[in-house]
Amino acid sequence: MGELGQGWANPELKAIVAEASRALAALDALRLEELALSCQALNRSMAADHDSDWREEMARQAREAAADMAVFGRVLEATRANLHVMNRLREMRLGQLEYKARSGAADWTEPQAGNGNGNH
Amino acid sequence: MGTINSAMSMIGGALDADQEALSVVANNVANANTTGYTEETPNWQENAPITIGGIQVGDGVTETGATSQRDRVLEERLDQQQQTAAASTTRLAALNNVQTLFTPDSGSSSATAGDIGSGITSFFDSFSSLESDPTDNALREQVLSSASTLAGDISSAANSLNQQSAALNQDAAGIAGQVNSLTGAIAQLNLEIESTSPDSDAGTLEDQRQQDLSQLSQLVGINQVTTENNGLSITTTSGQLLVSEGQNFQLTTGTVNGATDFFLGGTDITSGLAAGGGQLGGYLTARDQDIPNVLNSLDELAYNISTAVNMQNNAGVDLNGATGTVADPLIIFNQPTQVAGSAAAMTVVMTDPSQIAAASTGNGTGDNSNAVALAALANQAIVVGQTPVNYYSNFVSTLGSTVSEVQAENTAQNASVTQLQTQNNALSSVNLNDEAAAMSTLETSYQAASQVFTLLNTLMASALNLGEQTTVA
Repeated sequence: MGELGQGWANPELKAIVAEASRALAALDALRLEELALSCQALNRSMAADHDSDWREEMARQAREAAADMAVFGRVLEATRANLHVMNRLREMRLGQLEYKARSGAADWTEPQAGNGNGNH
Repeated sequence: MGTINSAMSMIGGALDADQEALSVVANNVANANTTGYTEETPNWQENAPITIGGIQVGDGVTETGATSQRDRVLEERLDQQQQTAAASTTRLAALNNVQTLFTPDSGSSSATAGDIGSGITSFFDSFSSLESDPTDNALREQVLSSASTLAGDISSAANSLNQQSAALNQDAAGIAGQVNSLTGAIAQLNLEIESTSPDSDAGTLEDQRQQDLSQLSQLVGINQVTTENNGLSITTTSGQLLVSEGQNFQLTTGTVNGATDFFLGGTDITSGLAAGGGQLGGYLTARDQDIPNVLNSLDELAYNISTAVNMQNNAGVDLNGATGTVADPLIIFNQPTQVAGSAAAMTVVMTDPSQIAAASTGNGTGDNSNAVALAALANQAIVVGQTPVNYYSNFVSTLGSTVSEVQAENTAQNASVTQLQTQNNALSSVNLNDEAAAMSTLETSYQAASQVFTLLNTLMASALNLGEQTTVA
């Protein structure tokens, strides 16, 4: 929030896009959900009638935000790749645990899986 | 009594096991702020059940040691992302230094590369001024002065680029020693870890090795292959062996065509290292690709302006009525013999302003038609199919796009590293619930970000569309 500075009361598109990249890098899901709501509101306001000054101002903001949008796209792509890796990793780990459980291995290493009496 | 003894034994064993487990937890707490420490969890082994009155009863557990909560796949992914991030960070710093040379130096009258664009315009404008009075000595001196400024700006930029290249070369060469030191340490740790595993957990040694791997990943692009007994082989991303379990192979340097190249076992692996990532990849990409591209553009500019202007001046008649000869040509700039090196060597060789050939042959020394032809070069495609100003403008624009592209890459890569570090910290925690929560955060963030991206995309398209409608109206 602090990075948006004085303009936060009425932030430019560029600042919103940059904030989205930062929030995604930090995996700040709540902030991203807030931003999604803000963007929904902005999209609704675009449908209303506005004078030419407002339209030109929005077009300028959109042009200036283009580079930040490209960065946001790349961060999103990197996150998708990381999510893929983490999902595969979790599948592997769970698979290992299931295998161990079925084989009745005694050296179970997850403390919460045993009840202290050896009953898995 | 047997039952009571068994119960007491069970309780005693449980207390012992708890004590051991507490030691593991205490170790975790004590190392909470230790860089590179991976949390350990106690291992429990069930005791053989005992039979009381024909019924089997559990005999509790024994604590058999601790296992580090590490995940090699995630750590490798993190190392790999750090390699690409380190490469783009290093390359970006080098590119920013290059771009500074071509950024207009506002508020300063000093001759910098940033003035090349206006220098080109001023130089050709000085011929336009000379058209009005080709015999005016002050106007002739102005031509030589603006030529000298332009040549000075271009050669200054080229020399600065050569200095930046030399500095990158030195930085790159310094990496080899650091790589050898780390691969030596990793080989030694491999031996120690292999002698420990699989009978017990080599957590502390693996933490040290992971820290070394992380540092190595910052320096150079590597691939990791886990071997028997938790050993590790490391190759460069192009496949040359750096560490094979307990043995490391020295990265050596040598000078090839004035630049430092890198060798493994006598093979020059410089190009593979440049593409591989890490700081070394960034240094080498900037040294061998980015700066040569910029220098080549400047060389083309210098070579073609010098050649075209010299040829046109040599075709005219100077204020003394003289024309150029093979032995004594009427040239303003030193005539380059090849494109390479033209920018750094660009200089004004004409010292007498009366030698500027403003007149055409047979028209008398007061004629201005060759000055007109010289001024017209500004609008002719004399530099690789473009006018000099357009060529320079496109070159600066391309450089800016490259910097912007690398900046975007770097931001995304650093974001990816931050995410993976967050996940790695979560995976080092002690239970699967924490791990699931971390995964859930990653998934929720990705979904929310996808929604934000879609909404912003729609918003920007609408905004641009509204702007166009306004312009048309």
